[in-house]
This record gives sequence, structure tokens and C-alpha cells, in this order.
Amino acid sequence: MTTEAKPRALNRLQSMYALRAEVDKMYEGGVEASEEGKPVAWVMLEGWSNAILNAMGVSTVFPENYSSLCAAQGVATPFLDRSEAEGYPTHLCGYARTCIGYSSRMVELDGEIPPEAPAGGMPKPVLLVASGEVCDARFKWFQSLGRFFDAPVWTIESPYPGLRERLMEGAHERNVNFLIKELKAFVAFLEKLLGKKMDWEALEYTGGGTNEINRWRWEINELRKAHPGPMNTRDFWSAVTAALFRGAADPDVITKGFERMYDEVKERVDKGIAGINRPERYRLSFEGLPPWHSLGFLEQLADRGWNFVIESAYRPPRPITIDLSKYSDPMERYVRRRYRRLEDSLREDYGPEEAEIILDEIRRDGTSPRMGLRHIKDYQVDGVILHVLLTCRSTSAGLNLLQHRLLDVLKVPSLVIEGDIIDVSAFNPAEALRNAEAFEETMDHYRKVRKELGMPW
Amino acid sequence: MAEPSKGLLRAQEIYQDRSRRALELQKQGKKVVGYLCIYPVLEMMTALDIVPYRIFGDMREPITKADSYIPAVNCPFLRSCLDLGLKEKYSFLDGIVTTHICDVGSSLSGIWNYTVRTPFSFHIDTPHTLHETSLEQERGLLEDYQKALEDLTGQKMTKERLQEAVRVHNEQRALVRELYELKKQDPPLISGVETIRVIKAIQSIPVDEGNKLLREVIDEVKERNDGPQKKSARLLVWGSILDDTALPEMIEGLDANVVMDDTCVGSRAYFGDVELTNDPLDGLSHHYLVDIKCPRTFRTRDYTDVRKDYMTDLAVRFSYLRDYVRDWKADGVIMESVRYCDTHGYDVPGVRDYLDSVGIPSIYLEHDYTEGALAPLRTRVQGFLEIIE
Amino acid sequence: MVRIYFAGIDLGSTMTKIVIINDDEQILAYVVHHTGAEHRHLANRVMEEGLAEASLSIDDISFVMATGYGRINVPFADRQITELSCHARGVASFFPNVRLAIDIGGQDAKGLKIRDGKLLDFVMSDKCAAGTGRFLEVIAAALGIEVEDLGGISLRSKQKVSVSSTCTVFAQQEVVNHLSAGVPLEDVVAGLHDAMASRTARMVQRLKVEPDVVFTGGVAKNAGVVKALEENLRCPVLVPEEPLLSGALGAALLGKEHVLKALARGETIQTGERRLDRATFFEKE
Repeated sequence: MTTEAKPRALNRLQSMYALRAEVDKMYEGGVEASEEGKPVAWVMLEGWSNAILNAMGVSTVFPENYSSLCAAQGVATPFLDRSEAEGYPTHLCGYARTCIGYSSRMVELDGEIPPEAPAGGMPKPVLLVASGEVCDARFKWFQSLGRFFDAPVWTIESPYPGLRERLMEGAHERNVNFLIKELKAFVAFLEKLLGKKMDWEALEYTGGGTNEINRWRWEINELRKAHPGPMNTRDFWSAVTAALFRGAADPDVITKGFERMYDEVKERVDKGIAGINRPERYRLSFEGLPPWHSLGFLEQLADRGWNFVIESAYRPPRPITIDLSKYSDPMERYVRRRYRRLEDSLREDYGPEEAEIILDEIRRDGTSPRMGLRHIKDYQVDGVILHVLLTCRSTSAGLNLLQHRLLDVLKVPSLVIEGDIIDVSAFNPAEALRNAEAFEETMDHYRKVRKELGMPW
Repeated sequence: MAEPSKGLLRAQEIYQDRSRRALELQKQGKKVVGYLCIYPVLEMMTALDIVPYRIFGDMREPITKADSYIPAVNCPFLRSCLDLGLKEKYSFLDGIVTTHICDVGSSLSGIWNYTVRTPFSFHIDTPHTLHETSLEQERGLLEDYQKALEDLTGQKMTKERLQEAVRVHNEQRALVRELYELKKQDPPLISGVETIRVIKAIQSIPVDEGNKLLREVIDEVKERNDGPQKKSARLLVWGSILDDTALPEMIEGLDANVVMDDTCVGSRAYFGDVELTNDPLDGLSHHYLVDIKCPRTFRTRDYTDVRKDYMTDLAVRFSYLRDYVRDWKADGVIMESVRYCDTHGYDVPGVRDYLDSVGIPSIYLEHDYTEGALAPLRTRVQGFLEIIE
Repeated sequence: MVRIYFAGIDLGSTMTKIVIINDDEQILAYVVHHTGAEHRHLANRVMEEGLAEASLSIDDISFVMATGYGRINVPFADRQITELSCHARGVASFFPNVRLAIDIGGQDAKGLKIRDGKLLDFVMSDKCAAGTGRFLEVIAAALGIEVEDLGGISLRSKQKVSVSSTCTVFAQQEVVNHLSAGVPLEDVVAGLHDAMASRTARMVQRLKVEPDVVFTGGVAKNAGVVKALEENLRCPVLVPEEPLLSGALGAALLGKEHVLKALARGETIQTGERRLDRATFFEKE
């Protein structure tokens, strides 16, 4: 509650605003399509369906994003309450419960969009596309929406093997073929539902655009390694939604937006400008999903000189050129462009030497403590915030183990902050700030430890 | 030397000291492999003379070590399993097999590999749908699993050995169903508490020994006159894992008998046989993906149908519960779930809607997998009994 | 004419309540006492008091029905029924058209769906102090005021503040922050009541809120919470004259019904041994 005219601690990127605004278009587009009698699907964040749906002319809206939008605007609570009233346990995913409450409200209004819905709302879906990717409880969520809509649910299956099992002979090709067949079955379903044929050429555009967007995002992240860090995670979170939710629908516009962002970040690096308007005292990484309802919290941390220079979620993949010339089947091209052999991506990400160590560890132990730590080293991170979410097990389950690995392998300390993606009452900002203050001493201590061990930062 | 105990007494002894038999067999040179939940295909272990040993938690033991490796907002059953692993209660295992039962279960396999470090481990990425491609995928995954088990034992899993294993496991399924038949009488011949002891016992010993135990229990129970008393209500329990007798003990301490269940330390793994296909992996992949009805698998009437109707969908997913209620003459259903189980949690309103639609009263109980926390649930159960009276 | 007498005892976690009725369902005596740490085994004394007030001896009572948290271990009770059924029955005797009853006691909160005086469904919350009388006690103690005064204070509020935390500990912090920021006490207390009422409203939504809605339990004595509950449920909330008695009264009435049913079947009434011994409680509380 400061009233002084001190400049804001976060130094926002101007190019972010245009990207952030793109997400509103998703909802506008959804409502428009629905009014014109065009099909609208509710979909989830996963690697496969969105480009296919867009290629088929289906408008896609993302309840996961919509829930975070409700949380950010402070209107999620009545939806959470409705979900509870419908008899759903309160420990379920906050995104899901917001969506369930929203759906229940829609039923009350005979399928109309609730007048209190932000950003114009999500129109009634003709199709629900669920996925178990990253979080397998998500297909249960859309399945349970059957209580409110008679829209069919398609669940996208994608492989999620263990690390060692991914290295078994023949496993990779089997997974690729599984994905190809699975996605073709999805296309057949869509053709039946929509009464029209798949536009394979359009898929090259909607599916291919993502690669170009990711390339710019990757380049931006490369720039973020600079000291001081030119872009705070706050801007990352504001902009990433455009890539995630609009990348397949409007690839050219989104690509342009990230290109502009690249230029702006590059200029900052050249001029030595930081993502915060305070001296960069600590460089941090944010692990887990952010508290969408309390992103202002980052402003308070920035005021302490904390610069979140990188984050764990939604980091773009390293751009690669794959020779697709021997594959003529468009679905096969689509799958092979994205589903990589574990050995290959490790070698690209970690370099051949470290990749071999990691692979040996995986073959021996089924796991490697080094995986997922590359960015901590690359960005010379002093400390890590682990956001343990009350209602998200998929992003939280591994965080405590990560705490051990960060310290064991890199001597980087981390601080657990408990909260939730949606439920504001699970987060105690006063306590988090107090802990953050104390955490500075820990970060100082490990700076010395790393120095003594001759580590580069 | 004292006569070895039999039947229910033996089941109770194993329930209380689960690892004794596995350790004896290990001394004789057998491999003992732990497994989580009911999806790791046990027949394939049996075919190579491996002793499958199910990993359970312990709701009577406070979780003290696991919290440092997995946040407390995760399934307390799985946290308890890890806790016991960290306390070296599972250090005798030669291996561990996990499947993609749920995300936390999957995460746990990685955390276990990092912390408990059982010498052999294998993770089966069991698909979540009944799509045709998922069935093919499950079959392919079982081929990899076969290779891994062959490497572990240095033996070949021939078709004949696997077919024989399928036969013995089907025999176990039939015996469990025979035991459950005895619960149709009023009063049931075996209580819900005793049932959990028996099922937990057979999930701790080799299948042939389990079959012998089941035969003893069936013979004993048929003849007994010290069985459960007649009570006002007969209940079916649906839900997530119950690997301790505490909850049925509380229920049966009131005016009710638990006569049927749909849980995974109960009927869930045993209702439905594995078809003896020419290539046993075909029958096995089908059984484990399609026949076992855990909410972790996405079920629907016909996944290629573009129309959908909620009540039909519910009937396809849950009508077996109505059949159980009818055949076991249950008066009501207790839905129970351990807190933070998303898989069961999402199904709670649907199961309730379905049971309401066919006129079966139900109540939902959530617990945090500690014995002490069950006491307040007693009032809810009793209140429910007063309503259905 | 020979009169028959029935007693209902509601051994709650915070309060012990006894009601004695005759076969015309007239209340002859009622006693309400703190269960309190030192008194929790003394339900027999409360019973003695009730008997004295009704000028009866324990042998005059045909049937003693026990309910409430400690119902299992009342040695002089003939039968136990949950407070869920008893509250439903007791509330329906005050308000025959009740469709939703809310009871907030010291340690738990309950919602009861009632039709024609019969309990159909219920929800309960007893996992944490928030949303129960305990919540108000903790906050009142932190503010240095009597819990009984909270209701009156909050009714003076012109503009209640929002208390977003549903956790007792967090809410306490929020309250302190509001007060140190200069928010008037009555607005803070009104905010607390609103937080509690909204939590309760959320809990009972699954039962569908339809009038008559009746509110009982110790917290129903707090006029501020009653008002907040009416706002949150968007319907009038009825409170019986003595909101603590519905459980014990319901127990006595259900005892009477039990006896009449038994007599109608030509059975003799099975009563326990009438000894006014100390009550024992669950091991785990």
C-alpha cells in the first residue's frame, strides 16, 4: 500500500501488451463464431489437437486460460462455490472447478454466456477435447462436464513413458506410430462430427506456425541470459498465453508479436537495461505455475531487487531442423516435427558429453538428477521459487525432490511458497514476503559455497 | 512344531506381517518384485516365477520422511508408500513395477527411483482410453515389460509359461468371486473387514499359495457359525484404495454390514477373467486396459460416436454398480475417497447422479488416510444409516 | 392417567443439553451447560439438574435417547441417534415447514435437508475450526472481547470489510491488519460474520436452499451471523427461541416415537440400566 511516487519495480516490456491483448481475441473469436453458428470447441493445452482443430475451421477456446483470467480479474470465487455446490470435492484443480462452476451457471441460463463472465465469456461448446498430457486428471474434468453439456468428449492419447522405458529399442517408433494413428482417429471423428474433410494443407500452416513462434521465443530466452536479466517472468507470463492459445489460430500475427518482443529485449541487452527498475540483487527462477490472481506479488519481490530471469513452465523447445523429406503423410510430418527421440533432445539441450552422462544415469537408475536443471546453470540463478499448488498435483508433485536436486547438483537454494493457481485464499502474501526476506541470507550463503567450489556464478 | 494356521487366521497373520512369506521365498532364491496399484500385469511376473508383492501404505504410521520429497497436497496413500520406502520397509524388494495409474503415481515412480533406489524398476505407461490404438499401445508396452522381466531373471517368458500363469491367475479371480458369492447371504458369511484381510493377504504371496488360502477361507466360511451378525443395512463401498480394515471396521461397528465393494483391495481386480488368447499378450492387454474398472481409464459408450447423452454415458460407466447393488441386495452405497485423489474425485458427482437415477441412496466420505481421522466420519455414516433405515 | 416421560441428551463438544418431555411432547425441563474440559464427564450431573427441575427421578423416565458428539458413551442412555436426525426432528417440531436446517456448534457445522420433518440428506464440516463457533471464539479472544458481544457490535457496522481468508489463523492476521489500518471494530466483526456466513452458504448449496431455512446451534445466538447468513443465502432465516435445544429435543421426540413403535408392535421397551454414571468420551477428540 505504498503511495510514494517511486517508479514501479517491474520494468514491463512494451511489446508484451500487444501479445497479451491477442488472448482476448480468442474469446471474441469464440463468441463470434458461436453467433455465426460455427463450431466452437473447448480444448486443453497439449501438443496436438489445437492445430488440427484450427485447420478444420473450429474455433478453440481454452478453459484453463479462461479460469486463470477469471482468477486474475477476481471473479473466480463464485464459480468455485458453484462447483462445490455441485458436489465436486474442493481439492480438485482450480482451473477445473472454475470451469465446472461456469458450466453450471450456463445451464442455469439455458446455455447463455453468464453476463458476469469476463472477456465476453466462453460460448457453449459443440465438442470437448480433453487430454492427459502433463496432467492426466484433465480428461476426468472434461468427462465430468457431461453433467452440463451433451457435447461429445474426445480424449487425445499421447505417450508419457518413463525415462528408461523411452530408451528401449523400438519404443520411440512405436510411440510415433501410436500418435499418428491416434491423431488420425481424432481427425476421422472430427470429419464425422463436422461433416467435412480435413484440410491437410491448412495443418501445415497451423501446425507449422508454432515452430516459427517457438523459434522467436527461444531466441528471446537466449537473450534473457544477459546480466542484468532484461525480461522478468511477469512479462513472460503475460505474453506466453498468446503463443500457447493463439499460436495455431493466427500464427503470422503471433510470430510478428514475438519478433517485436525479441527486438525490444535485444535493445535492452545492448543498453544493459534490466527487467526491473531496481538494481538486480538476485537472479531467480520461478518453478511451477504462477499465482494468476496475485501476480502483483512479483512487483513486491522486484522491489527487493529480485529479478525472475527465467521460469520452468512453457519454456520453448530448442529450434531444430528435421529432415521431413522422406515423409509424405501429412500427419506423420506433423508428429515427427514435434515428437523427438529422447537421446536427440538431450544431446541438443545438454551437449554430447553431459547428455551421455545423463543417458547412463537413466539406464542405470531410471532417472537422472541433472535433468531439468540446465536453465538454472545457464541463467546463473541464485535461488528458485517453488510454487507448490494446493490443487495442482501434476506441477507440484516433483517440486520437493527438485529442491534436493538443486542443492545436490548445483548448490542452488530454493524456497517453497504454497498457494494456488485460482484459489486466492490458499496464498498468504504476507508470510511469503517474510520468508522471501529470510531467503536472501540463504542465497547469499550459497553464493559463497558455489564460489568455494569454483562454480561459474 | 505347531501346525501352520489356515484360512481366516492365516489371512489375518499375513495381513499383520505381510513380508514374512516373501522374505522366505527370497531366501530360497526367488525374486520378489513390488508393484503399485492393480495395473502391473501380474501374470507376467508369475510366468517367470517372480513373487509379485503389492506395495501398500500404512495409515497407522505417521508420514515423517516423505514430505521432504513430495508435497503434502498429494495423495496421502502414495505419500505413505514412499514414506515406508524411505524407512526401508521395502528395501528387500528386488524390483518395483509402476504404471501410469495417475500422475502422482507416475511421479512417484521417478521419485522412488531417485530416493529408494530399488535395484530393478519398470514403468508401464498404461494408456487412458479404450481407443483401438490404445489397446495396440498397451500390447506393445507389455512386450517391453516382458523384455525387462526376462533381463531381470535371465529366463525366457515362453508362450506356454505365460498361458499357464494366465490360467492360475484366472483361477484366483474365480476363487475371489466365489468368496464374494458368500457375501450375498444375509447376514453375509464374511465381513468387510475380513475381506480386506484376505485380499491383502493374497496380494502379498505367490498366486498358487493365494489360491490355496482362498480355498481354505471359502471352506471355513461356508461352515462357520461365528460369522457377521445380521444388521439393518447392507452396504456397497465404492472408491479409492482401502488397504486397512479401519474404515469397514468403523462401518461394521454400526448397524451395517459391508457386503460388496468396488475398490482395488476388493473386487476390482478380480471380476472378469483374462481371455486365453493364442498370444497371451492380447488377452492380457485387453483385460488390464478394458476390464478393470478404475476411474483412471476414460470410458464411454462408443468413442467414435459424435452424439452424447449424459444418462446413457453414466449407465455405460456405472451400471455394474447397480448390478452389484441388486445381486448383493445392498441398501445403499458409501462412496469413499482418500483426499487429493483427483481420479476418483471427478467421478463423485457422476456416480451420485447415476445412483440417484436408479434410486440407490449414497453418501460421499473423504478421508486423509489416517486412522484417527475416521472417528468424525462415524457420525456421517450413522446419519446415512438413519436416513436409509 | 399415567404419564410417560422421555429425555433427550445432546452431548456436544462444547455444550451439553438436556430436554425432558412428557407424552404430550410438552417440555418439562431443559438444561444447557458448558461441556468444558473439566465437565465433559459430568453429563450425569446435568441430567440430575434436569430431573430436579422437572421434579422427576431417573426411574420415572421411560426412555433416554442420547445424541451429539459424545452420544456413544452416555451410560444411562437407552439408545443413540446421530445429532443429524435429532436436529432435523427437533427443528421440524419448531418449524414444521423447514426444508433446510443449518446448525453451527462449537466444533462443526451441519446442513440438513428436511422434507415433512424427515432428514433426507446432509452435509457436514468438521475438518477445521473455520466456519464453526470455535472460529468466532478465537477471533473474539484475539480482539479481547466476549464472544457473546460480537453480534451486537457487528450490527452497528455501516460498511463491512472483506475478510478473504477462510483459515482461522490467516483470518486472525487479516483482522489485526484491518484494525491497525484504522478500520472500525464493528466493520471488521461484520466482515468476519460475512466470511463465516459465505462459507456456510457454500457448504449447504448442494442441498439446495429453499425456505423455510432454520438456523440453530450456539452461533445462531449471534444476530450478526444470522443477518449475514440471510444476505448470503438470499432468503429469510428463522431461529428458534432457544437455538441450542433442537438436538436434545429431537432426541427426546425420537425416543418417544421409538417407544410408541415398539409398543404398537406389542414389544416391551428395551431400556438400559438406569445408572447416572459419568459419561466417557471417544479416545480421540
